[in-house]
Amino acid sequence: MIVVEDIHVTFGRGTPLEKHALRGVDLTIPEGEFVTVIGSNGAGKSTFLGSLAGDVLAEQGRISIDGTDVTRWDTPRRAGLVARVFQDPMAGSCATLTIEENMALAAARGRRRGLASALGGDRRKGFRDRIAALGLGLENRLHDRMGLLSGGQRQAVSLLMATLAGSKILLLDEHTAALDPATADFVLDLTRRIVRDNRLTTLMVTHSMRQALDYGDRTLMLHEGRVVLDVAGEERAGLDVPHLLALFARQRGGAEISDDSLLIG
Amino acid sequence: MTEIALFGAIEIGLVYALVAIGVYLSFRILDFPDLTVDGSFPLGAAVCAVLLIAGVNPWLASLAAALAGAAAGLVTATLNVRFKILHLLASILTMIALFSVNLRVMGRPNVALLMQDTVLTPFYGLGIPDHIVRPLVVGVIVAVVVLLLARFLGSEFGLAMRATGVNARMARAQGVDTDAHVYAGIALSNALTGLAGALFAQTNGFADVTTGIGTIVVGLAAVIVGETVLPARALALALVGCVAGSILYRLAVQLALSADAIGLQASDLNLVTAVLVAVALILPRLKAKASRSTKAAR
Ligand SMILES: Nc1ncnc2c1ncn2[C@@H]1O[C@H](COP(=O)(O)OP(=O)(O)OP(=O)(O)O)[C@@H](O)[C@H]1O
Ligand SMILES: [Mg+2]
Repeated sequence: MIVVEDIHVTFGRGTPLEKHALRGVDLTIPEGEFVTVIGSNGAGKSTFLGSLAGDVLAEQGRISIDGTDVTRWDTPRRAGLVARVFQDPMAGSCATLTIEENMALAAARGRRRGLASALGGDRRKGFRDRIAALGLGLENRLHDRMGLLSGGQRQAVSLLMATLAGSKILLLDEHTAALDPATADFVLDLTRRIVRDNRLTTLMVTHSMRQALDYGDRTLMLHEGRVVLDVAGEERAGLDVPHLLALFARQRGGAEISDDSLLIG
Repeated sequence: MTEIALFGAIEIGLVYALVAIGVYLSFRILDFPDLTVDGSFPLGAAVCAVLLIAGVNPWLASLAAALAGAAAGLVTATLNVRFKILHLLASILTMIALFSVNLRVMGRPNVALLMQDTVLTPFYGLGIPDHIVRPLVVGVIVAVVVLLLARFLGSEFGLAMRATGVNARMARAQGVDTDAHVYAGIALSNALTGLAGALFAQTNGFADVTTGIGTIVVGLAAVIVGETVLPARALALALVGCVAGSILYRLAVQLALSADAIGLQASDLNLVTAVLVAVALILPRLKAKASRSTKAAR
């Protein structure tokens, strides 16, 4: 379970470019819930996921994961609890290391890394079995460098890597945005399967309203650093894309008005 | 080239192979251009020479030289990681500081090792000519280092170090403390360089503060020659490539110096090496440019 209490994040504090990117986010995400996150560019979605992963530390508020206060933990320390897949397929793996080396890196996430061989024992066989289950034929390419894979293959392997260390939280930041539609669908289906099989608590950022409603159990809309829509269950089931678009537009309109009033005030 | 000159070239190539491996660790694996080696090489030589004169066991003296190198590397890594000084500048600061430190360690610009026992001493009496004993002993040490290092880089810790150099953001997301791996890698790189300095002092019979000048360029040249003759993806082979590159580089230098027609002097070495490295760095760009313009022409 993730509990977020009133977190604030400001970039470039005290400079002319100061940006108050998160302005009091309050959320409780129960174990095993699959949450989709939408919002316009600059709404703070990536910043929010980053604050859960430890990339940005909240200057105010509290974050706890499974009852542990992790507010001040940095990224490597939180990695034992949180796995991620990035938007850029290049970002989530090491291009010049082999597929199996990337998997070995991920399998040791959150553990002390010692001098034991990273690929010793029956590790290789374990990796081969896991990657064969993707159905991409990659089990015969474990010695290939990661950089040789296509973007979709890399994202698929990244998803698999996220499950190797047994952490229970998965953060996906537009992880299909760089893929062509067919590949994106494949990766999304894989996401659904992996989330279900491993019972992961998941946050998935997307720019597609369709995906936001089709996948997962709950949908959040962020706007200017706040959660402006939070729907689940019946209410969410009754929503369709035009509804959501209308809500989205209203949020943006509302924001413009408040901006104006700020100027006048 | 005489037989003595040939084995001499192999010997010095093997000594500098440790530098090449150190440079490979910093430049290639950690993507951290580290010039500290210009200081840590003579530091290793100085520490070893002074300890030998004080009667310390040669193996212990060599170990101390490696540790001194590691300490120098830690200074550079601290300046960069902790205090955010650009890696190149951080290493130049350490390198300059080490020049003074090395003078302090020796108490004068150079120290001769005449009667002192070295790691080579026990092997001189075996009936093998001295000029062959030296590369043999150094070669065995280099082989042990290559084996241990290949094993290390294939370990979980070593893999995390490689990931730190390739994609630090990903490494951190996988729970790797990237700062710790930069400290460890730069320390290890300079420990190897310090050890090379110690072997240099013992095979040549002296330590001199000026021997450090250009160490980085020689190390880089060896790495580049190695990558050219042995373009290997596998890590162990890449390390062997560093060794091969270092030896080939020395043989080429020896050939060039012994060919009177060229008229090169030993003192021209740094110029020649710098030109060689520059050309090796420029060539891939020119090639890329050429292939782009031929594509554009089509
Ligand atoms: N490292 C940073 N330094 C300064 N400002 C930043 C930084 N990261 C994000 N911001 C700013 O914070 C705001 C929120 O950015 P964020 O990346 O979270 O938006 P997003 O909702 O993910 O947008 P997108 O849909 O474009 O990915 C933006 O105004 C952005 O410019
Ligand atoms: Mg974003």
